[in-house]
Amino acid sequence: MKDIFVSIKRAPYQSLGSFLILFFTLFLSLFFFNITSFFYGILSYVETRPQVIAYFDVQTKEKDILTIKEAIGKTGKTSSIKYVSQKEALQIYRQLNKDNPLLLEMVSANILPASLEVYAKKPVYLVEIAEFLQKQEGIDEVNFQKMIVDKLVTLTTILRRISTGLFIFLIFITIIVLITTTAFKISVKRDEIEVLQLIGASKWYIRKPFIMEGLFFGFSSGTIAFALFYLVFFYFQPFLSSYLTGLPKLGFYNLTNLNIYVYPPSIEFIALSYVLIIFFGMMIAFVGNYLATSKYVK
Amino acid sequence: MIVFDKVSKKYGTGTIALDDVSFEIQNNEFLFLVGPSGAGKTTILKMILRQILPTSGTIMVNDKDISNKNFKDVEKYRQTIGIVFQDFKILMDKNVFENIAIALKITKTSQNKIKQEVDEVLSLVGLETKRNVFPLQLSAGELQRVAIARAIVGERNIILADEPTGNLDPKTTWDIMKIFKKIEDEKTIIIATHNVDIVNSFKKRVITLKDGQLTKDRRLGKYEL
Repeated sequence: MKDIFVSIKRAPYQSLGSFLILFFTLFLSLFFFNITSFFYGILSYVETRPQVIAYFDVQTKEKDILTIKEAIGKTGKTSSIKYVSQKEALQIYRQLNKDNPLLLEMVSANILPASLEVYAKKPVYLVEIAEFLQKQEGIDEVNFQKMIVDKLVTLTTILRRISTGLFIFLIFITIIVLITTTAFKISVKRDEIEVLQLIGASKWYIRKPFIMEGLFFGFSSGTIAFALFYLVFFYFQPFLSSYLTGLPKLGFYNLTNLNIYVYPPSIEFIALSYVLIIFFGMMIAFVGNYLATSKYVK
Repeated sequence: MIVFDKVSKKYGTGTIALDDVSFEIQNNEFLFLVGPSGAGKTTILKMILRQILPTSGTIMVNDKDISNKNFKDVEKYRQTIGIVFQDFKILMDKNVFENIAIALKITKTSQNKIKQEVDEVLSLVGLETKRNVFPLQLSAGELQRVAIARAIVGERNIILADEPTGNLDPKTTWDIMKIFKKIEDEKTIIIATHNVDIVNSFKKRVITLKDGQLTKDRRLGKYEL
């Protein structure tokens, strides 16, 4: 540690440059990581909702509805189909409006339609399933979320591509800046490196101080970027919470069994973000400094 | 033992630095390399240090062919050699102790052993009181003592010195040479020099070079060009 601080003191502006570029890259990476994870969470949530809902005329007999259910199942394009009878629809209605007795009084099972909630195996089957249902007798209305899912898929894809592009660009710039600043520090220590080489120091021994300094910058800039990001996030959380009212807990990919939730962020997700950003920061710093020393330490 | 067998070095520019040079140096031998500037003295030292490779011929050091391009363990090999430069090459941001200790640190020697060995060598070169002093506060003679201490500390059995007294006044020159004299029974010492008085008074083996060729190799030799 002493050597690292001596080196920083000896070339303060170069050190500041290394730190700032790493900080900037890590902060933006953290931002895009969170945004992309959030949209993936939304997408996953929407995909768990019934994708096609067919409402039947109130006169349609249950037997006919179950026949249609069986027919859709035979297409092989559905992952599950749920029949919601008029009685069950009434129960759901009562549950949703339990705080409003006036609304409860006005409604009986007879006026609520029975429905089929269909989950497709793939989003591309949604249109076919919807068209199939619309052709059936006794169908009043068919709702399906293709537009929402499509928009979310498009948005998430665009976001992922933008973040990946920006990510690669930032890594490239960061590595170039790190190589430049490390090269400057190496040139300051050129005589020392020459002596070390002549007395038999290994390449790793010569590289080690530069790489350790890089790892230190990766760690410290990652920590500060992380702290600042979550400080800003928690400052704006009340506003976000009111804006996103009704949104359930959004899982981080399939890691909900580990209690990793993107929104509201669980401690586990925050810890994962920290580990990833520190690992990423240290990796970039390592690669940058390794490349710089490879060029000069022969 | 160091063996040069028909060693030549020709640079891309056409300059011939060494031309078919052969000689043997026994372990713990004290040897002077003399000759005019550009005769090939430094080239020989650089070749022993494996800083440069010969164009032709073979260099064997302790039965290892270090002139082979595929020779591995260069770092470990160099850890057996101590080098003293005319311009000292002392690390200015490290104190005397640290400058010497670095030669042991790179060999992963323990801290206790480093302390013990550096203290011993400081006593040998007469710098016990300057242990924690930084190079800027030292005279040229003291700087060269630090460089010698760094070269001889630990298991370094071959000491190469390229004009070690070139930047020193006559009195300091003799003080420095006395240090080499103290260790002559324990290490192979090869000194490239232009200093006639030293060569003549030491009465050691002298290899004379001229235009890259070995012109004389005399036991108990004198400075003769």
